[in-house]
Amino acid sequence: MLASLFALLIFPAGLFVLVNGLAYHWIDRKLVARLQNRVGPRWFQPAADMVKLLANEEVLPTGVDARLFTALPVVALAGALAAMIYLPIAGLPPLYNFPGDLIVAVYLLSLLTLCTGLAGAISKDRFSIIGATRALTQLFSYEAPFLLALLGPAFAAGSWQINEIMAYTSSQWLILTQPVGFVVALIGLMGKLEMAPFDTPEAETEIVAGAMTEYSGRGLALFLLGREVELVGGLTLIAAFYLGGINNPFDYALKTLVLLLGVAGVQTLMTRLRIDQVVGLWWRYGALLALGQWLLLLGQRMGT
Amino acid sequence: MSKEQFTIPIGPQHPALKEPGHFTLTVDGEVVTGASVRLGYAHRGIEKAVESRNWVQDLYLLERICGICSHIHATAYCLGVEKLAGVTAPPRAQAIRVLVAELERIHSHLLWLGVAAHQAGFDTLFMYSWRDRETVMEVLEQLTGNRVNYSANLLGGVKFDVDTRVLETILSGLDFLETRTHHYLDIVSGDRIFLQRTRGIGMMTSEQAERLGVTGPTARASGVRRDIRVDAPYAAYDRYPIQVVVETTGDLEARFIVRLKELLETYHLIRTLLDGLPEGDLKTRMPRRIAAGETISRVEAPRGELFYFIKSDGGDQPARIKVRTPTLSNMASVTQLAVGHQLADMPMLLTGIDPCFSCNDRLTTVQTSGESETWTWEKLRQYGIASYRERG
Repeated sequence: MLASLFALLIFPAGLFVLVNGLAYHWIDRKLVARLQNRVGPRWFQPAADMVKLLANEEVLPTGVDARLFTALPVVALAGALAAMIYLPIAGLPPLYNFPGDLIVAVYLLSLLTLCTGLAGAISKDRFSIIGATRALTQLFSYEAPFLLALLGPAFAAGSWQINEIMAYTSSQWLILTQPVGFVVALIGLMGKLEMAPFDTPEAETEIVAGAMTEYSGRGLALFLLGREVELVGGLTLIAAFYLGGINNPFDYALKTLVLLLGVAGVQTLMTRLRIDQVVGLWWRYGALLALGQWLLLLGQRMGT
Repeated sequence: MSKEQFTIPIGPQHPALKEPGHFTLTVDGEVVTGASVRLGYAHRGIEKAVESRNWVQDLYLLERICGICSHIHATAYCLGVEKLAGVTAPPRAQAIRVLVAELERIHSHLLWLGVAAHQAGFDTLFMYSWRDRETVMEVLEQLTGNRVNYSANLLGGVKFDVDTRVLETILSGLDFLETRTHHYLDIVSGDRIFLQRTRGIGMMTSEQAERLGVTGPTARASGVRRDIRVDAPYAAYDRYPIQVVVETTGDLEARFIVRLKELLETYHLIRTLLDGLPEGDLKTRMPRRIAAGETISRVEAPRGELFYFIKSDGGDQPARIKVRTPTLSNMASVTQLAVGHQLADMPMLLTGIDPCFSCNDRLTTVQTSGESETWTWEKLRQYGIASYRERG
């Protein structure tokens, strides 16, 4: 009992993921800064931001449902954290598993975007409403290809259970046999996290902070924490599926950091896409490519 | 049921605006269906203030109209006052005026490149172009002692000379900037994702540009061959002619290309200028009182034509100075072009004209219903009291 509480709240899920998220967030910011010829933040900056935000007053804007407004950030963070118990965080085997937990984990990871969209939609602020519309539009465009990209390895392994898929991918690097899926999954993760160039829902030069415009203090802190947790979860999932599985803590750190470097590189190289371009990109290329690879796998399966 | 209009206010405070201005955008989904602009938030009363200071003091005040193109304001003023006084600055002084003006153009265009890239969400280009801009800022600092507001002009000449040490800094700085500018030109005309945000966006035909009275690089990007440096050469531009850069496509991409190609033209101009810098004095004597009369002075600021009207009644203070900055001429194009574009294109469309709000805010016009009425001081006072009481 005590041991499972510890595992849920402290390590490997819970507190450890939060700290890990803050650290990865810092690494991402530092990498982008260095690639852009800037100095970048000090190592404790994301944590300091969090402390400051949590200490700040939370302003409740007029005209919103107070309960929903305060509950949404909590649900978003809780959803992201709940997904972690099915993932091989820190290179340890997932805490819990059951057949089909992959689907549950992916949908728990989507909760954050849904909450962001709702948070913007209940607001009276015009920037929030546009941000929410864009966030949800973007959700509908990357979610299907992202899921297809994660189902590729599941299909190859013949199971929808994360630890069984990992047992299969440990023996082979699926990035070599399913490169399209890998790219789609990584770019999809960037869309999920609203990282540049997919930061249209919160494009500051257009709509200030998008759906988050009205959030301050604790609510904003929880949303940001949720996003950091999701960064860790997403990188873990992709590394586990495509980069030869995650077998020990060293494996975990190395593979997720390599992915993070790639993510930072894409962030640096691209101009922000317009929302119509995002949708076009995903449905014209992302979804079709992922689907094509999936059909290829299916054909291969039937053939053997 | 009538369709409710969804308006988005941009400004006076907004992350896309570095200075206060207000834009009201009517949108249908993501598409802009109407736009209006309200200016005047940064009105500082400079035109009135210059009337109570003498000709020399005004030079310092007018130079502070713009923080980016400060030198060009002082140059326009000096040239105008010198014309009124019947004085011509020595050739070396005129050449140094051109030198500083062109260095200022480099700094202004590189700054614009960064801002425009940031509006598009391409922060890497923003960071790199501003890093490279430091080169010209350091040159300006070494030349004049200041990074902005160089205070290079005097009535009747300039304040400092170009020595050999500065000459070398300028030349090596130019070499570095030239390679970088070629690189940026490659990016803005070759990066496919960046082009998605600029090519075909904000199309303005040359007829539209003429009708809207657009000036500067914005006009030249629409195929309007107009540049005061060539059309009505001032200072030393008759000795150092430039090639006017014109693009005909008229979209945002053309505005990027025109400004970057102008930079290359500017590097070339500075090199020829430094090669054949005329010898001689730096200044001539100016009278303290300027002969009565009025004149206009036009110069090519980095953003377009800068216009000064100067009137003297024979005293040591100007009777009237009117300034029209290029931003005001270009502003109409923003609201015109906005319609039909996506909301996401708005920051870039606005930045496309390189706006400088504080410079163009001259006075506030109050729209009335047509009937006019003269209020007594007492009535105005009572109105004020009642109005504030109402607000609580």
